[in-house]
Amino acid sequence: MKKYTTIWTGVIFLFLFPFSLTAQDPPAYAVENVTIHLADGSVIQSGTIVWREGVIESVGANPSIPYDAFTISGGDSLHVYPGFIDGLGYWGTPDLPDPEQVSDPGNPGYERAGIEAQRSPEDLELDGDEITEIMKLGVTTAAIGLKGYMLPGSADLFFLNGDHTADHLFRSSVGMEFALEGAAGGWGNRAYPSTTMGVMARFRQLMYDAEALKDHIEYFASSEGSMTAPKRNRILEAMFPVMENEIPLFLKVDSPEDIDRMLVLKDEFDYDVVIVSAKNAAYKAEELKERGIPVLVSIDLPEKPGWMEDEDSDPSGEEEELYRQRQAEAYRNAAHNIRNLLDHDILVGFASTGLSAKDFHEKILALKEDGDLSEEEIIQILTVNTASVLGAGSRIGELRSGNIANFTLFNSSYFGEEPEAKMVISNGVIHEL
Amino acid sequence: MSFKINVSTIVLAALLLTVPGEFSFAQATGSVLIQNATVITVSGDDLENTDILVQDGIIREIGQNLNAPRGTGTLDATGKYVLPGIIDAHSHLNGIGINEATNPVTPEVTMYESINPNSVSIYRALAGGVTTINLMHGSANVIGGRNATLKLRYGLGQNELKFKDAPQTVKFALGENPTRVHGQGNGIQPRTRMAVETVIREHFDEALDYRKNREAYLEAKERYDQNPQGNPPVPVAKNLRLDVLADIIEGNILVHCHSYRADEILMLARVFDEYGIENYTFQHANEAFKVAPELAEYGAHASIFADWWAYKFEVYYSTAYSASILNENGVTTSINSDSNELIRHLNHEAAKAVHYGQTSENDALRMITLHPAIQLGIDDKVGSVEIGKHADLGIWSGHPLSIYSINEKTLVDGVVYFDREADPDDVRLDRAIDPVVDYDDTSQTFYESIEGRNYDACMADVFMLFESSDNRQSWNQQIHNH
Repeated sequence: MKKYTTIWTGVIFLFLFPFSLTAQDPPAYAVENVTIHLADGSVIQSGTIVWREGVIESVGANPSIPYDAFTISGGDSLHVYPGFIDGLGYWGTPDLPDPEQVSDPGNPGYERAGIEAQRSPEDLELDGDEITEIMKLGVTTAAIGLKGYMLPGSADLFFLNGDHTADHLFRSSVGMEFALEGAAGGWGNRAYPSTTMGVMARFRQLMYDAEALKDHIEYFASSEGSMTAPKRNRILEAMFPVMENEIPLFLKVDSPEDIDRMLVLKDEFDYDVVIVSAKNAAYKAEELKERGIPVLVSIDLPEKPGWMEDEDSDPSGEEEELYRQRQAEAYRNAAHNIRNLLDHDILVGFASTGLSAKDFHEKILALKEDGDLSEEEIIQILTVNTASVLGAGSRIGELRSGNIANFTLFNSSYFGEEPEAKMVISNGVIHEL
Repeated sequence: MSFKINVSTIVLAALLLTVPGEFSFAQATGSVLIQNATVITVSGDDLENTDILVQDGIIREIGQNLNAPRGTGTLDATGKYVLPGIIDAHSHLNGIGINEATNPVTPEVTMYESINPNSVSIYRALAGGVTTINLMHGSANVIGGRNATLKLRYGLGQNELKFKDAPQTVKFALGENPTRVHGQGNGIQPRTRMAVETVIREHFDEALDYRKNREAYLEAKERYDQNPQGNPPVPVAKNLRLDVLADIIEGNILVHCHSYRADEILMLARVFDEYGIENYTFQHANEAFKVAPELAEYGAHASIFADWWAYKFEVYYSTAYSASILNENGVTTSINSDSNELIRHLNHEAAKAVHYGQTSENDALRMITLHPAIQLGIDDKVGSVEIGKHADLGIWSGHPLSIYSINEKTLVDGVVYFDREADPDDVRLDRAIDPVVDYDDTSQTFYESIEGRNYDACMADVFMLFESSDNRQSWNQQIHNH
C-alpha cells in the first residue's frame, strides 16, 4: 500500500510540470510491476516498460531499468495495453455548417457540392476536450478526418494530446476520404450531386478535370515555347497524390452494393483504396480478399431487436415468429461482420467514423459477446492491424523496443465492466486523465 | 423454407460460376426441356403440342417429340402456354435513386449505378411473367440519366442483374415535369416548352463542339507525346456529360423520351431529324396517336399506357384506342407499366388493345414482348420464342390474354426464378432483412406500400421540387420548427 501511494505521489509530481520533453524532464521513464497485454495476445505479468525520448527502449518481464529513468510502479494492479489506433475518426473536428440555398442547384461550386479534397485537419483547430475523452478509452493515435459529404478532405495521423494534438502530427495525408454522399441539403435545398449515381458521375468528372490539369501543368513546365499557363486549382491538385497512388482513398461504405459501386470506380481510375466503416462488408469478403483490399471497420454493431432482450415479448402469430427467426439471423450476420472478414484473412483495422466516445467501451464489449471475437483479436484490430492498414506498422501498434511509446495503464482488464485509464502515454508524453 | 433453398441454390450457382479475379457478369444459366406446350412465339405462328429445348440458357430447338439430352431436366407443360418473357420498357422497379433532379441535363448519371438488387418488387414482377425491365431514370430533367436494362435474376447481385450487351439507353423528358422542377422550382431554364427545345439544342451543339475539340486534342497529344517538338497541346478535359450527348447524336445511345402532347412529340422528332438521331422511343406519349403517321415516317417508337391518364393537366387528352391506332399506323408500340403494381399484370394491359381497338392477339402480345425488345435494342436476344434467343419464358395456365390465366413459372436464361407451386410465404432475400426493423413496420400490404396507382413514379422523391425554392425553404423551416 505504501509503495502504491509513492507511485501516485510521483505521478502527481510529474504533472506539475509541462509534459513535453524538455531539458528539465527525466531522460527516460519506466513503468514497472504492471500486467502488460501485448498485441499478439500474450501477457507479461509484473512486467516493465522503459522509454526514452518518446521511443520504447525495452518491454519485458525483467528488463533492467536505466539509472537515469524516472520509475513509476504499477503496484501490481495496473494493466497496460498498447495504445489503440483509430483508423478514421472525427474527434475534435468542427461540425458542418447549415447548407446555403443555391440559385443554380446544378452548378453549386466545389464546396457546396461537398468536394473539399484540399482540406486537412492539420490546418484546423481541434477541440482538445473531445480528444481527451477518447484518450481516456485507451486511444493514443488517430487518423483524424473531417466531417463532410462526398470528398471532405484528407485524414492526418496524430498522436493524441488533448489541446496540443496539433503539435503531435505523426503523418499527414494518410488517406483521402470519399463517400457516396450527395451534396448537403434536404429536399428543400438540394444541390448537385444529390444521388449515389450523381456522386459517381461527379467523381469521374473531378478525376477527368484533375487529369487534364495535371497534364497541363506538366506540359507547361516542360515547354520552352509559348503556351497558355494552366489555371491552378487547389481542389483538383489535392487529387494528384491519389492519382499517383501516393495516398489511398478511404472509401466510406457499408453495403455490399455500395462496395461494388466503389470498386467500379477503383477499376476505372486504378487508385489504392481502403474500405472504411464496412458494416456489411462480409458479403464482399471473397472479393476483398482476392483484390487484397484492407478494411478499417466500424465497431458500431446494430442494436439487438427489441424482442431479443425482452423475455416477455411473444410473437403475435406464426408469421411474426418466422420473421423473428429471419431477423435474428440478420442480426447475427451483422454482428459477425468482422468475424467473417477475419476468417477470410482480410486485414481488418478499426475506424470510429462518428462513433461517440460514451458508446466506445460498450461497443468493444459487444464485439466479444455478440461478434464472436476473442479479446486478442479485438486488441489486434485496435492496434497492429490498424497500424498496418495506415502503413505505420513499423512505428506504432505494438509494445516493442524501437516503437513510439503509446500505451495506456488501466486499473483493470480492458474487458471488465468499467476499466479506468490511470495514465495514458502518447508519443512518450505522460497524461493523467 | 423451400424458398430459402431456392434462392440459396441460385446464389450458389452464381458463386460457382464466379471465376476468381473476374467479378462481373457471373450469370447463372439453365438447361431444360419444356414439353408439350402451346408456344406463342410472337414472331411467328403459335405452335401447339410443342417442345422447347433450352441449353445453357439459350433456346436450341423448337419442335415436337424432342429428346432431353442426358442430365437435362424436363418441364411438362401439357395444357399450358409458353409466352416470351414480358419486357417492361418503362419501370422504376428497383432503383435506389430515380431522379438526379438538380440539373436540367444529367446524362452522365446512369441507373446502372442505382440498382437495388434486393427489392422484393423484382420477385413480384417475375410472378407476372416479366423477365426484363428498362429501369429508367426519372423525368425531372430535359435530358435525364441513362437507363439500365435489367434481367430479373432475383437473388443475385446488381452486376448479375445487368442485361449483358444491351445497348445503352437514356431518358429525355418534355413538358410539365422539367419546366416545373427547373423553371418553376429553381427559376432557371426551362420555364416553358419552348425552352425545353432550346435546352436540347444548346446541349447538342455544345456536345458536338466538345467532341471535335477533344478528339483534336487527343490527336495532338499523341503526336506530341511521341515527338515533343514545338508547343504542347492545351488539354481538353474529358467531359462525361458531353461525351454521352455526343454518343446520343452518333446513334450509340437510344433515347427514351417522356412526353405527352402531340406538339412536343413532333418537336422532338424534328429536332432529332436535324441532328440525324434515329431509333428512339416516346414514353407515355398519350397524344402520340394524333401524330401516328408522322411518327411512322420518322421511324419513332411509342411506349404507352393502355388506359391511364388525367393524373395531371398535360395528360387529359387520351384514349384507350391509342395502342391500336399507333399499331395500325405502323408505329412500333409497346405497353408499359411505370408502376410496381401494374408490372405484375401487363398481359391484362395488352388485352385492352384487343378489347378496345380490335388489335390482333399476336400484335397485342408483341406490345409487351417483341416491341419493347426492339425499343431497347435487344430484339436479337429476347422478345420472342426463337432458336438462338435467350430462354426468358413464362409458362401460363391458359392463354395470357385471358383474364382467367395466370403465370405459373418464369424462367430467365433457362433458370426458374418464379414457380407458383413452390411460391414461399416470405420471398425477401436474407440480405434485405434489416435486424433493426420491427415486424410491425414490415407488415404493410403491398398495395399500401406502393400507394396504389396514385402517383407518377417518374417523379419519385422529387414532387416537392415543383414548388419554388422560397416555398420549399418555408416548409423546411416549418418542419424544423415543429
